Amino acid sequence: MKVLYKVLAYLVAAEVAVQAMAVVFADAGMGKWVEQGGVLDKAVMESDASPFPEAIGLMIHGMNGIMVIPVVALLLLVSSFFTKIPGAVKAAGLVLLLVVLQVSLGILGHDIPGLGALHGLNALLLFSSAVYAAFRGRAAAVTAPARHDARVRSVG
Amino acid sequence: MDATRRRGARARLVVAGAAALAVLGPLTWLWQDSLLPDTYSVMDMGYADHGRGSREAGQVGGAPVDRAHGSGHEAHLGAAAAGYGGNAGHDVAATGHAGTAHGLAAAGRDDTAAGRDVTSLIADPRRPADVELTLTARRQRFRLATGRHIDGYTLNGASPGPVIHATEGQLVEVRLVNESVPDGITLHWHGVDVPNAADGVAGVTQDAVGVGGSFTYRFVADRAGTFWYHSHQMSHEQVRRGLLGALVVAPAARPSAVDAVALLHLYDGVRTVNGREGDVRVEARPGERARVRVINTENGQTPVWVAGAPYRLVAVDGTDLHEPGPVRDTAVMVTAGGRADVEVTMPADGSPVRVHIGGPSGVVLGSRTYDAAAVPRPATTLDLLSYGTPAPIGFDPDAADRRFVYDIGRRPGFLDGRPGLWWTVNGHMFPDVPMFVVASGDVVRMRIGNHSGETHPMHLHGHHAVVLSRSGVRATGSPWWVDSLEVGNGEWYDIAFVADNPGIWMDHCHNLPHASEGLVAHLMYEGVTTPFTIGGQKRNEPE
Repeated sequence: MKVLYKVLAYLVAAEVAVQAMAVVFADAGMGKWVEQGGVLDKAVMESDASPFPEAIGLMIHGMNGIMVIPVVALLLLVSSFFTKIPGAVKAAGLVLLLVVLQVSLGILGHDIPGLGALHGLNALLLFSSAVYAAFRGRAAAVTAPARHDARVRSVG
Repeated sequence: MDATRRRGARARLVVAGAAALAVLGPLTWLWQDSLLPDTYSVMDMGYADHGRGSREAGQVGGAPVDRAHGSGHEAHLGAAAAGYGGNAGHDVAATGHAGTAHGLAAAGRDDTAAGRDVTSLIADPRRPADVELTLTARRQRFRLATGRHIDGYTLNGASPGPVIHATEGQLVEVRLVNESVPDGITLHWHGVDVPNAADGVAGVTQDAVGVGGSFTYRFVADRAGTFWYHSHQMSHEQVRRGLLGALVVAPAARPSAVDAVALLHLYDGVRTVNGREGDVRVEARPGERARVRVINTENGQTPVWVAGAPYRLVAVDGTDLHEPGPVRDTAVMVTAGGRADVEVTMPADGSPVRVHIGGPSGVVLGSRTYDAAAVPRPATTLDLLSYGTPAPIGFDPDAADRRFVYDIGRRPGFLDGRPGLWWTVNGHMFPDVPMFVVASGDVVRMRIGNHSGETHPMHLHGHHAVVLSRSGVRATGSPWWVDSLEVGNGEWYDIAFVADNPGIWMDHCHNLPHASEGLVAHLMYEGVTTPFTIGGQKRNEPE
């Protein structure tokens, strides 16, 4: 369970990195496309087909953000219940909370662009909290045997 | 010591298990609860809303007030969970030619003795057709005018399909043949108030026409204007890939010397007008009046503006505006699914005029030269609320018999088992959406509100509604009749119409992927029933 917990925590962090890459990839592609004469309006935006190849970055960002990351964060919380790592539940709960906040900011950002800026900031918090959660696993791996030793000694 | 530790570990496991269950249990329940049966009738969907609410007709942005929840609310879809155990082979030819009696299998469901089947709601079967044609649908790779190859669907070998021309009052008869579209097809006559049996909605007014099948649509083109047709079977996919075309109904007297169709569609992300990339050239001599009929077949709105001459917006959604004045340096937003007819008087010096459709290209009107410079989109947008002058609308919307609220929101949840952020109608997620119930002759008012974070082009089948106000600001211009209305985020519109076309009519978002994500409700006349079902052996899937 510890390994699963750690893997899921690192996965959240990795997914946040993918999110950042995907959205900038799409943004850069859009800029290049407009530079070459492409015109973006609501009709193009809502078209299922990609007017420029990098638009796939937006699709990845949306799918990852709304579906994959919340599911991973949820599984992280569930797995944290079964690990004996101190503080794991708290760390995983924090990750899930920040994911919920991140999705909300992402969606509300369409309406109030200022919240989009917070979406970017919260991404860093989420990344850090996911790494922190993963490090809880490492810390536990180091301290747990020590404690075990102490207990053996006290018995002896 | 060991025993204590083991007991501690067991207790810990139990607590962890309980916590996991507390997190996953409700989610699993919500997921399971959202699953749709394989087959269901739209009549059993959601809850009946009889629109007998208070005069305040609900409150947008909060919980809508005073909805007449019928007993059907609890029983949503429960009765229809029969389910088909896999359907063998291909569909045979679609039955249900307009005019064939289907039997009143579903009649007597709840109310009235005068139960009418949608298949009986047809144009006069004895009247001969004035305009007759066959449209054959194929799945194929086809070539755009510029040589680009598209893997999609065609009608009579091309996409867009042929422009159908009729004159006001003529009876149009179109035979649709499906040669090779595997998922089945239909044709919906967008903006034409056809009899219900000809509305072309798979699973509501007919079965999808399978490969080798055919279906005949008959309707009177009773209103001169610009319309279009498209498949309403898996429409979010089939429209995008080419099952569409223009329908132009000319007035008995032709006022414009030059009359051009400009159908906007994106193929694989490539913007085209009438299937061409770049400009469409139309000959118009100096001093001539030219009408350009812009049809937006896309899922998002697009701006239209004119360079080289002032213009008038003479019609919206197939209805002429009253005394529209000339404008310049102003853009018109064309709703997704909507139409806008712009009229230009060609400059006397023979210089060309460019009608921009969403970008630098569009229609160029000219004679000696077509070298019309592109200009950027003007900053101002024409507000139809105050454009033109008032005229009688033929009924009194203040004496409404029914008042409905169609309030669009968004929340996380499961749609047929898929997690995501889904649209809600009056706070409920599909399929728990309202069925707006009316009787023939009712004056109906509807408040369409939107606080979902995105704009929605709302399309009511079978009727034209007049816009009364937007976000509390009353309409003061020409009567603004719509069949496709862009309701922006944070806005609400009050619209009104006369329920004069019995049937079961979709009332949905014409951003077609949104419809497939559950932004669909229906308008149903008392006593009208449908024998068709969503899903089932015909694999009807209207969105």
